[in-house]
Amino acid sequence: MAESGSINDLKKKKEFKLNNTVVLFIVLIILFAVFSYVGKPFFFSKLNLIPMLNNLSFIGIVAAVLTMVMVSGEIDFSVGGNIGLTACLTAFLIDKGMPGWLVVILALFSGLVMGAFNGMIVTVIGVNSIIATIGTMFIWRGIGYTLTNGESILAINPVIDYIGRGFIFKVIPFPIILLVITFIITYLVMNHSKWGRKIYAIGSNPIASFLSGINVKKVKFINFLICGVTASLGGLILTSLTAVGMPQHGQGLELVIVSSIILGGTALGGGRGQILGTLAGVLILSILYNFLTIMNIYYFYIQIVQGAVLILVVSTYEIRQSLAKRRI
Amino acid sequence: MDQAGKKYSAFFNFLKTPTPTLIGIYLILLLLFSLTNENFFTIQNIKGIFNNFAVFGILSAGVTIVMIGGGFDLSIGSTAGLAGIVSSVLLMKKIAVPTPWVFIIAVFIGCSVGLINGLIITKVGINPIITTLGTLAIIRGVCYFWADLNPRVYNVFVQNFGRIYLGNVFPVTTLYIIISFIILTLILKFTRFGRDIYTIGGNEQLARLAGIPVDRIKIISYVISGFFCAIGGLILISQLGSGRPEYGTGAELEVLTIVVLGGVVVGGGRGNFLGVFIALAIIQTISNGMVLLDVPVYLRMVVKGALLVLVITIDAIRNKRHLLMY
Repeated sequence: MAESGSINDLKKKKEFKLNNTVVLFIVLIILFAVFSYVGKPFFFSKLNLIPMLNNLSFIGIVAAVLTMVMVSGEIDFSVGGNIGLTACLTAFLIDKGMPGWLVVILALFSGLVMGAFNGMIVTVIGVNSIIATIGTMFIWRGIGYTLTNGESILAINPVIDYIGRGFIFKVIPFPIILLVITFIITYLVMNHSKWGRKIYAIGSNPIASFLSGINVKKVKFINFLICGVTASLGGLILTSLTAVGMPQHGQGLELVIVSSIILGGTALGGGRGQILGTLAGVLILSILYNFLTIMNIYYFYIQIVQGAVLILVVSTYEIRQSLAKRRI
Repeated sequence: MDQAGKKYSAFFNFLKTPTPTLIGIYLILLLLFSLTNENFFTIQNIKGIFNNFAVFGILSAGVTIVMIGGGFDLSIGSTAGLAGIVSSVLLMKKIAVPTPWVFIIAVFIGCSVGLINGLIITKVGINPIITTLGTLAIIRGVCYFWADLNPRVYNVFVQNFGRIYLGNVFPVTTLYIIISFIILTLILKFTRFGRDIYTIGGNEQLARLAGIPVDRIKIISYVISGFFCAIGGLILISQLGSGRPEYGTGAELEVLTIVVLGGVVVGGGRGNFLGVFIALAIIQTISNGMVLLDVPVYLRMVVKGALLVLVITIDAIRNKRHLLMY
């Protein structure tokens, strides 16, 4: 039994075991194949796939960082409102004739402020993060509406244009680069750094983490800060993709983002979750919603699917967990 | 002596609840608005305020019950919209279902939505906020099945249901709110169901160990919430005279603010209807005051969001959550 060979064998077996993320990627490939076949002339074409990837990029960027927040046991529903406000602010400042680089910095700074506000309420005062961020979601969107007076403002500026519609080496869209960079960084942070291990520890047991010397509130606060900044980055990409800043940008996005994160295997109460799982979740849901749009399904019926997907995904994990508990 | 001491402590218990503070805030608000605007303290305006808070008042009755039990219901706005549009479609001349049946069907829809919410939350065990956020989206989507019918309400009984003034001054909808609040207060105070729901909100694990049928009572609380959503939807179509799929959007924000401001603790276990009623008056007075002071429409949205954040902040500080180190 104590032979080293057998332990190595065990390790190898563990590596080959199907985990959640792999299953999700297999599902993704199957779905992609099925959708390509059913939505034949339109789905698998350059005209559809490139915009789909662009749309997916800002959802993915926000989802990757929100995964960190959710693993630490909190949630941020205000990302949709944050995207709307950032879009309005960007367009507003460009309309006032500010240089592009300054607008980008200011937009990201506004995200920092929003993240700080969320973090303050949740960590310092100790409000339930779900309700707090539902409230701030309305505040951000309301400020966006006030700023633009409910209208949409054109945002045309070389720097802003490049963020969402630029190409690197004339082939790879710039938002995809941003997406890949975000996922690599968050993957490294979550799986190969002290910070990531702190986040997992806090999510699974905040009291134990506090007692073992982790500054729980600081970790959560900084997570909220990063989440605010990346949501603003998502807002910049969306503004650039549509070349317009309007307060309705990102409405209902929190539903899509949260359900793709949960589909990726992140537990609602925290402590469990994988960045790669989130990537798979984002890809699966984006493909699904894009396919429904291609099949000419009315937007409000897609909303039904979005709500049903959220409930189904959460139920599946909840049921699996209770089955696992019963087995013990 | 004993009797007097008991009364004394009851009075002090009342002073310990947030309700006296709320009454104070309300009086200050009334003074402030009547000094700044001469149109505020007119019978016409007061009538308007009372009639306007009908829907939110009815919705907050159900949400209060759910929240005392430690639950959450964000799907109220959508459910009210669904009950409203379905009953207005049924009232259309082409279909013309008899009026009592319209009410029965609306209540049936509301209760079944509540039942579904309750079943998912208790039997599957999902976080109530996430569940009702999902059903919010689903039901709002279902509302759009009837989007292109654009039904109008010509039925006189339904029109009067939410519009009539008793003695030309007192809106009948306020009477509904007062009656339902009183009935629910009596249920909470004097029935087994009421005591059980406070126990569940206070400590669910303990309630389960004490043999209280936690799941059943939680489901009933969601069904009650669904029932009030149906009534709210009927009042909506009665006051607005038509059925539109977007009716009730964003009601959850306002109702959540009202209920939490009214002293119902987030997480359950504490709360009473007197506080909720005064909170309702405060929130509606603020909305009305913003209209009178000509605050821009979009700024009102910011104010509403900020009010919710403020209210839950107060709730957290009152329950000393800011002292936790984790």
